[in-house]
Parts: sequence; structure tokens; C-alpha cells
Amino acid sequence: MRIRDLLLLGGVALLGTAMMAGRGGRGGRGAPAAGGTISGKVTFTGTPPKMKPIDMAKEPFCAKEHAAAPVFTENVVTGPGNSLRWVAVYISAGDQGSSPATETVRLDQKNCQYIPHVLVVQPNQPLDIYNDDPHSHNIHPLAKVNPEWNKSQPAGAPPIHAKWELPEFIPVKCNVHPWMHGWHVVLTTSHYAVTGEDGAFSLQGLPPGKYTVTAWQEQFGTQSQDVTITGTETKTINLVFKATPY
Amino acid sequence: MRLHTRFVALVSGLGVLLYTAGATVGSAQETHIEGVTGHAAAGKKVYRRYCILCHGPDGDGNGENAQWIDPKPRDFTLGVFKCRSTPTGTLPTDEDLFNAMSRGFVTTNMPQWLPLSRQNRADVVAFIKTFSPKWKTTKAGTPITIPPEPTLTVESILHGRELYQKMECWKCHGARGHGDGPSAATLTDNKDLPIRPYDFSSGSRFMCGVTNRDLYKIFMTGLDGTPMPSFADDIKPADGWDLVHFLRTLQPLQTPEAAIWQAWLASHANELKPIGPPGTGQ
Amino acid sequence: MAKGSTRGGRSLRGSWLASGVVTCACLFGALALSGGGSKAYTAYSLAVHKTKAIPAFARKYGLPCSACHTAWPELNAFGQRFRDNGYQLMNDRDSPIWQNPSYIPVTFRMTPNLHRESATKQAVDAVPGDSTSGLVSKTITQSGFDLSGMDLWTAGTLYKNISFVLLPSSDNTGAFHFEAAFVRFDNLFSNRWVNFKVGKFELDNLISEKRFLFLSGNGGAYQSYHFLPGGDINDFGLGDNQIGAELSGHSDNSYTRYGIAVLSSTDGEVNLPTSQSYDAFFTFSHAVDAGKLGVERLGAYAYLGRRPTYYQTSDGVAIPGTGTGNKPFYRIGLAGDFFFGDFELLPFVMHASDNAFLATGTAANVALPPGARDARWNSGFVEAHYYVNPQFVVTARWETVRMSQQTDPATPNDLGNVDAYSGGIRWYPIMFSRAGLSWHTEVSAVRTRGSAFAPTDNVWTSSLFSGLDFDF
Repeated sequence: MRIRDLLLLGGVALLGTAMMAGRGGRGGRGAPAAGGTISGKVTFTGTPPKMKPIDMAKEPFCAKEHAAAPVFTENVVTGPGNSLRWVAVYISAGDQGSSPATETVRLDQKNCQYIPHVLVVQPNQPLDIYNDDPHSHNIHPLAKVNPEWNKSQPAGAPPIHAKWELPEFIPVKCNVHPWMHGWHVVLTTSHYAVTGEDGAFSLQGLPPGKYTVTAWQEQFGTQSQDVTITGTETKTINLVFKATPY
Repeated sequence: MRLHTRFVALVSGLGVLLYTAGATVGSAQETHIEGVTGHAAAGKKVYRRYCILCHGPDGDGNGENAQWIDPKPRDFTLGVFKCRSTPTGTLPTDEDLFNAMSRGFVTTNMPQWLPLSRQNRADVVAFIKTFSPKWKTTKAGTPITIPPEPTLTVESILHGRELYQKMECWKCHGARGHGDGPSAATLTDNKDLPIRPYDFSSGSRFMCGVTNRDLYKIFMTGLDGTPMPSFADDIKPADGWDLVHFLRTLQPLQTPEAAIWQAWLASHANELKPIGPPGTGQ
Repeated sequence: MAKGSTRGGRSLRGSWLASGVVTCACLFGALALSGGGSKAYTAYSLAVHKTKAIPAFARKYGLPCSACHTAWPELNAFGQRFRDNGYQLMNDRDSPIWQNPSYIPVTFRMTPNLHRESATKQAVDAVPGDSTSGLVSKTITQSGFDLSGMDLWTAGTLYKNISFVLLPSSDNTGAFHFEAAFVRFDNLFSNRWVNFKVGKFELDNLISEKRFLFLSGNGGAYQSYHFLPGGDINDFGLGDNQIGAELSGHSDNSYTRYGIAVLSSTDGEVNLPTSQSYDAFFTFSHAVDAGKLGVERLGAYAYLGRRPTYYQTSDGVAIPGTGTGNKPFYRIGLAGDFFFGDFELLPFVMHASDNAFLATGTAANVALPPGARDARWNSGFVEAHYYVNPQFVVTARWETVRMSQQTDPATPNDLGNVDAYSGGIRWYPIMFSRAGLSWHTEVSAVRTRGSAFAPTDNVWTSSLFSGLDFDF
């Protein structure tokens, strides 16, 4: 009687695991994917604000490093063809299962800037934060849903291992260097991209289904579009923000 | 028949276990402080009498008087607190909140609520915990371990001075701790409101207490919500005391640290390299 | 009054109920309709406001009235500490330089009201207008809309750890006097046990008459704080503000407090009217945290004073300030402030003694009337408050004064004895930091033994009062 009980319970457990394993798509950023693709460009209409040059006189080392090529604020970074950089594009509805990402994402504080300006992580994905400068920074993510923390990182210190548990758009700043601004975007989906200079994005490996694609820009908010994938086709969409000078 | 009953027993057992665990995590309606149990329902009455005009009926720091107060009253809905014994990014313990409200916050409108009975204070702490959902989903952090304070020596103070330079405290607090460092003027808190770093030369109480131990906790846990970070990853626990001893010499108080430091300075002052940006003698 | 009949069951219960209702109504009516002796219309009228609550502090620090006051103007434990600290929160932001330049540290307080006063066994002309018609005993009643006195109060800090009070106060005709005016050096030697105050101020009574919750003619003063037997030339009252200097101190949470004061023997009068002697006042109290019940406080006090019995004269007219032939008096006792959750109990007991020369009004350079003794009396009260919420309080008080030794052995033992009853409610429709308003309703009655007609008469004086007590 006892063995039968155990076998039955074991069988139920096994079945459950198998079902769960089957659901998670082998999606995520790294894997070459079967399935459809949604790609396109993020652009703007109207007049965007002018980015201001940053005076890093408070940190002489960084001022010197940028003496040849001044650095500008990064809230609205535009590119050729009215493209927008640093826009996070992701599946906001219809996602049929993303597996948790395990590869480590890296954030650098270099020459008093956050590189990259916008990074995306999935919940609990390891995030390593490096200080490449010969002076201290403090990393102060202003999270509201996730815990807000603030850690100092002197020159030469080992990377800070962080992770975010809950989906949120988290602004990050350094209090010592007030011009340093960045974003940690925590998304549950593994189908996301951050646009480069050309404003282009490509979300791959999407099983057939109805999706909502959302683009998030830190100053202009979000733009969304619905896309249906039926097979392995590539659907091209353009997400357009209305830019205002201020 | 037997399998069915055992299965039911197992599941119900698990269910009871999970419920209890969840209930323990989620009992934000109660606090336990120094043998006193506080209850949120009783705390609501205390809050109405004393707290509501600044902290607001919703606990978000938007009371009637908040607009005329600087610094602004704490927004309890965020679950972010300055004075903790727990690591940065974690919730404070009940004692932390109890002590913070009893002590008040110097240079702010937050009074020292010490004259209130301990029961009243424990009750209102329990009520405050109902303003943020974080108290239901997360437990309070584990208080940091503080090694015993070592004997006070000049070497300790000198090492603390090195740490003050190396950790770049001077960037905000200034070379002499006057709160006038190069980054001081642009500091903002988590609500983007201007905020000043502590000026050691004022000799006033620290934001989170008056003892050496309180000072230790400040830089080892950080003042969450403010620009003051945690240095727990960068300073070894024992070395933290050296920094405490040095920081005391920056205050115009008659402390043992100040006495030893002044005695040493009388004959060794020219051995010191100035604190400040690299290239100024460092 | 109908007592219950002996018919059983329902009708018996009904009869008891009826008798209960009738009894209560008659008792209330008796209180309301009681007459008064001469005291009803003199010193203790509500003409002068004696109570202190200051929205200026609330405005300065952004706290509601209820933070410092159980129900303003009575202080709670937090407010007591604020006051003990010299009206400072001790957060290094108390000096006036930190205040918004538009901040005004001034408060005024006033209570327009409707009231009715009544006094039994008053001496009245038998025929109105005819002074030869002889005096008869009658009940006098007065009622109508009226004003209270006004307090125009300013207090706060001149500098960190230097606090001040200035309280010009008027009666209800607008005639001003200085009720309080002092400078206090707080936390001398950085020590909260050493504070030094100079000026005119309220004695550090544990139960403050200036900050209590009664306003009517017969309820707006503690009998114990003013009672003097008939014929006594002493003018002292524990509730009168005195002029002098006070050394005081308190523990960090103000649970332990002491005060030592040296006062001029003038009962707070200015221009050196009496003598060159001084009185002393000692007070000490200790409070404990009683968990769920609240904070419990008990204190002891002693006032040792002297008053002159005659003056130097010029052409037979007394020269102010030259009073001599000083004779002593004292007031000693205990006071308490006990909380049982939202219920507060304030008991008070006093033993008083006035030297025979003072009690008989005899100059010290002549002989006492034969058999004259010191006048002694005991008094006490129990006051209760119930705080329904921070904006609604119900109050009640019973007080008694009992002569224990008449100065003249021929006087009946109970002549002058007083029993006083008070009850009221205060409702604060608004409770924030800018201004205050309370609708105050009160019933008070005082029974005094001895009238103009017979020492065995009971004279009742009573007040019905309802007013809007506001301060800004």
C-alpha cells in the first residue's frame, strides 16, 4: 500500500514537471530561434529637446577623458532618419512563456557615465555592476516596487552583484556625480531589444499568436502596436513617438 | 481509501504549513519591541492624534503641513527608511522604527516622541507598517553584525582618516567634514528634493542616533532614500570602528577621540597629508 | 418623589424607572436653580481667561493641537516635555532664525458665550429701590449672551535655549493686565536639570488651572487654588500667577520633574505693593509608563509664604511696599494625573494653614483676639476626563473644602465649607495646526456653608454655560 502511494505521488510530480518544462519556450536573447520575428524602427516626429553638454569639472579625471569629445545628456538620443536610441522594445501582451534568463548582464561606470544607458534584465537575472574609473561611484537605483538600495563602489572594488525581482522601470543615479543617469528595465519577457543609433529592433523566436509590442522611451513614455504572427514570417512595424522640445 | 486519506492529510498539512508561514511573514499588523506587543488598530488612534498632519492620512508624507516643511515627512508607502540596523535595500526591524520615532530626527520637524508610552509607540509602528505592501511580502532585513568596539588608539584614528580619504567621503562631507564637499551642493534624495550632507562641525546629533555604534550603522547600512550609501561592501567590519573614531574628531565635542587626536596633532600635525582630490598631496 | 409601589412585576419596575428619571431631573434642576453667595460674582468669573493653548506653536512646527494637548489647553506628556524644554523641539531648529519670516508667534483666545448665573440666599432690598425696606434673602439669576476675557499670547524662543512668554490678558471689558511675562534660560550648562526662569509666571502645579478644561463662572477655577476663610487678609491663591524666579529641571522624557521658586510676597501684583519678603514654592513629580493604561504621574508640592499684617503710614494712609509684621502661611499636598486608556483621573489634596494674625486681620504689633488660632483647612478634588477621540472630551469634577480649625473658636466648625460640582463637554470640530475652535458646554454648581443671614445656611451658586472657545 505504501509503495503504491509513493509511486502515485511521484508520478503526479513528474507529470507536473514535464508539463512545466514543456511550456517554457527556448526563447531568450541568446538562442537562434524558430518562430516568427517582429522587427522595425523606433522614430519620432516633431522637434526633440536639445541634449545639453555635461560639465564634469567636479570630477577632473572624467573631465579630462571627455575633453576631446564632450558628452551630452542622454534622455533623448536621436540618430539618422529621426531614429531614437535607448528605447526598450518588448512584448507587453501575448507572451507565451519566457524562461528565466541566467546569463549575467553587465553595467559599467566608465568615465563617469553608465554604459549602457538603458539595460534590460529579467526578474532575478544576475546583474554585475563594474566601476572602471579611478574614483568612487555610488549606485543608487530609485526603485519603488523593488527595494531601493544605495551602495558605494570605490575604485578597484569587485563588481556589485545585483538582481531585480519584480518588473519595473528603475531610474538609476550616482549622487556623487549628479549628471549620471541610467535605467534598469526589468521585464518578464525574454523578447526585448534596446534600440541603437539606428533605432532598429528585432524580436525573434515568437510562436504564432497575437502580440502587443510596446516601445518605452524615458522621456516620451510608451507607444504600442498589436501584431499577429501566424508562422515564421517577419512582421515589420514602426513605432513613432511625438517629440516635444520640452 | 487509505491513499486518499493520506494524500488529503499531506496536502492539508502542507496547506497549514504554508498558511502559517505566510501568516508569519504577513503579520504586519503586529510589532514586538522590548516585550511590548503593538497592534495596528490601536496605532491608528495614536497616528490620528500625533502624526497625521505631516505624514498624511494615507501615510504618503502628504499631510496638510507637508508643503511648509523641509525636509519632507517620510512617505511610508515606499517602505524605504533611513535609520536601520539592516542592510541597504531591506526593511528595518520593529526596534529600528521604534527607536527612530522615539529619537526624532535632528534638523527636521520630526519630534522626539519619547514621552509617549512604549505601548503607544509600539502600536503606531504597527500601524505605520500597514501603509506599504512591502511589509506583507517581505520580511525585515537581518541586522548587521557589529564587532565589539576596539580600544581607541591614534592608529585607529589615522586609519579612519585614510578610509575617509579612500572612500571619498570628503566628496560630499568635505575635507573637514563641514558638509561642503564638491558634490554637496547638487545632492538630491529619492524624491529629487535637495538634501544636505551631515555637517560634523555642527556637533549636533546624527540623523540616526548619538553613539559610536549608531554612527557605525549609518555608513554600514546607508541612509536609504538619501544620497548616503552603504559602505558594507567596501569597509571590513573591524575597520568600520577606525572610521568612527576619526569621524568623532571632526565634531567640536569633548570626546575621547577628540582628546587623543588633539594630543597627537600637537606634535605630529605636519605629517598629515591633506584630505581631498588626488594630486593635493595624496 | 414617587417611590416604587409594592405591586409586583412590570408595574414595580416601571415605578422604579419613573422614580429614577424624576430623581435625576430634580437633581439636575436643583443644581441648575441653586442660588449663590457673594463669591459667584467676584474673582472667579469667566471674565478673565486663564487657560493657555497656542496655535502659534502648532504653526511653527507643523503639529496638530492634539500632539501636545490631550484636549487643548490641557497638556499631554509630549506637550509637557515641549514646555519643559523651553518651547523647543530640541531638533536644532528652534531658534527664531529658522522660522519663515512671515511666522507670527502670537496667539489670541476668546470665548463668546451664552450663560446663566444663579445664586441663592442673597441679601436684597425687600422693596426694590427702597433702601429702608430691609434686606431679605432671595435667589438672584442673571443670563444672556456675553464675552469672556481675552488672552493675547506670545511665547517661544528668543534664541536657542532662551525662551520667553508674554501674556497680556484682558477681562471681558478689555481692561488689560499682565498675566505672565518671563524669560527662561533653558538647559543651562547643557543640562536639562537646570533651567532658570525670571518674571511673572504660573506656579508649576502638576494640575494646571491655566490649562484646564473649565470655563464657567462657578467651574472655571479650582476652589482649592483660591479658598480663603472669611476675614482672612491673606490674598494668596495657588492658581494666581506669581512674580519671582524659578529653578526647574526634568528628565529626558519629562517623567521626572522638579521646581524650586522664590516669589515676592505680593501674589503676583506689580509695583511692589506689599512687603519686602519672599515666599518659596517646591514641587516634585514622577511619572511611570504603565503599558496599555498610559502614563501615570504623581507629585507633591509645598508653598511657604508670608504676608504683612500692617504698614508704615503717612497721614494714616498705608505706604505701599512697607508692609511689615509678616506672618506665615502654607499650602502643601499631593496631586496626580492618571490614565486608564482614554480615561484620565486627576486627584488633588491640600492641607492649608494661615497664621492667626492673617486669619483675623490683626496687626502683628497688637494682641490677637482672645482664643484666636491659626485657620486650617483641607481640600481636594477629583477630576475626570474621558477622551472619546482627540476632538471630543467629556469632563466632570467634584471638589470639597473643609475647615479643620476655625480661627475663632466661637465660629461653627463648618462655616465656609465648600462643595463644588462641574461637568461639561468640549467638542473640537476642527483640529489642525493653524487655529483652534471648541464648542464648550458646562454645568457647574458650588455650595457654600454660611450666608449673610445665618451661618447654617447653604448658599448655592451655579452656572450654565455654552460658548465657542476659539484661538488663532
